[in-house]
Amino acid sequence: MNCINFVVPMNPCPCGYYPDRNKCRCTPYEVHNYLSHISGPVLDRIDICIPVGKVGIRQLQSDKKGMGSKEMRAKVMQARVRQEERYRGTAFCFNSELGPDEVEKYCALGKEEKGFLEKLFRVMDFSARSYHRLLKVARTIADLADCERINEEHLQQAVSYRQGELFEK
Amino acid sequence: MKSKQNEQEKQYQLWLHNLPGIGDRTIGRLLCLFGSAQGVYEADDKKLEQVIKKEEIRKEIRRFSAGWDLKGAYERLKECGIMFLTYDDMAYPDRLRKLKYPPYGLYYLGSLPRQDQVAAAIIGARECSEYGRYMAESFAGRLSGAGVAVISGMARGIDGIAQQAAVNKGGATFAVLGSGVDVCYPASNRKLYDEILMSGGGILSVFPPGSKPQKRFFPERNRIVAGLSDLLLVVEARQKSGTWITVDMALEQGKNVYAVPGRLTDRLSDGCNLLIRQGAGIVLSPEDLLQEIRVLRNRQGSGGIGKSGDEKVFQGEIRENEPEKGLLSCLDFVPRRADEILELMLKKEEKTEISEVLAGLTRLCVEGLAKQEGGYYSSLACAEGDNMF
Repeated sequence: MNCINFVVPMNPCPCGYYPDRNKCRCTPYEVHNYLSHISGPVLDRIDICIPVGKVGIRQLQSDKKGMGSKEMRAKVMQARVRQEERYRGTAFCFNSELGPDEVEKYCALGKEEKGFLEKLFRVMDFSARSYHRLLKVARTIADLADCERINEEHLQQAVSYRQGELFEK
Repeated sequence: MKSKQNEQEKQYQLWLHNLPGIGDRTIGRLLCLFGSAQGVYEADDKKLEQVIKKEEIRKEIRRFSAGWDLKGAYERLKECGIMFLTYDDMAYPDRLRKLKYPPYGLYYLGSLPRQDQVAAAIIGARECSEYGRYMAESFAGRLSGAGVAVISGMARGIDGIAQQAAVNKGGATFAVLGSGVDVCYPASNRKLYDEILMSGGGILSVFPPGSKPQKRFFPERNRIVAGLSDLLLVVEARQKSGTWITVDMALEQGKNVYAVPGRLTDRLSDGCNLLIRQGAGIVLSPEDLLQEIRVLRNRQGSGGIGKSGDEKVFQGEIRENEPEKGLLSCLDFVPRRADEILELMLKKEEKTEISEVLAGLTRLCVEGLAKQEGGYYSSLACAEGDNMF
């Protein structure tokens, strides 16, 4: 298996506070310049982008806890088992390894989902590469939710992780 | 015959205005002494000394004049479609003539603001927030739609946004630049620059064509913005910013200043809120401002503008029967991350989780009710609409 997990942090602008305009005084040009250090093609290959905010003192002291690592691990393992079963007898083990042909086979969509994607593409102007990546991410989201079929919500969630496309606008 | 004489004097005036090292006040004194620009041109060194004491400046002027092609320079100007006026011209804007120190020369492309049309300056921060953008669009759009000329500096941020909204409404808007009229600054406003000219507006400057924008030009630019307007609206400004220069100039010129209030926690609204404390008019809606304008016009004894309206305040359109209603109400002009939105939803005791929120946000974006930028979501639900007025 020659796959890697590529995880990389990045600031939103030179000062790091954008879009908090109370603190950030970077010009739109500076923000744009900063973000374009990652070229479009590279960004296109990053499946999941999420903004991470500052952790406030309230959150640090709060009793409320999110999902713990143990619980998460269980969920991930469950999704992995699903994938293993699905790809038994094939050359790959994970959704990320699928080629375009396999995507069509394993990430099949219903009529409604297809309609939604069509609408989405008109609005967001995706590349062919991101289309396949999007479907694979949606496949994984469905696996995590223990669903055999990819539904609209899985797709929508997958789209929300592709913020790279919208950096420019 | 008269017009030919005028043309000739114009060439001298252009030369005079382009002279290095002297400002409008020196020009005024020179004209007082020699009667005309041609008179100044033909004056010898001895006579010039009466006004320009410094030897180096006179030397510089002689060197400059030797290299200046009177006719050629004027022809080139005309070829570019650039109009040149001095305060001796009839067409020179009355509003500028009323200033304590009217600028001697004025260059423009397109047209000048009409004297009989109410002119409102809309200004604000270059790095504005979504709130500022929205307010600038709403006010400029509504005013422009009511036949008010929007005057601004075509800068990044509020200025440009307001002027773009005016253009979109098909109204005439006038940009006063801190560079030559043929220098589009900032370059990112090129499209706006072209559209202003196409929609019957104008690009104005008191700096000779070809001048690159310089920091020291901008206070003068701001003075002209205030000078060309009947009133001034500040949309969003920090406590210490260039906007204050324009405000001070407007007050000095006896113009009414209005401010769009903002939240006390927004540093970008500090300027406006402070202005309000100091006595600036509070506008709660574009209609508010139009009402003020009507009062102003009546006082001046000229006709009203637009239709008369009741007092209105901003009302975002809330769509009652939509599944995303709850989500939409958690969105604001201030961009928020999905996890912040989730927290807000939970606070409202809506049962949901992050995957649901993300999916819903994507739906809103696709429907054009929200927008996402770098993972931050903001509301578009009531933007770009006249539905609220």
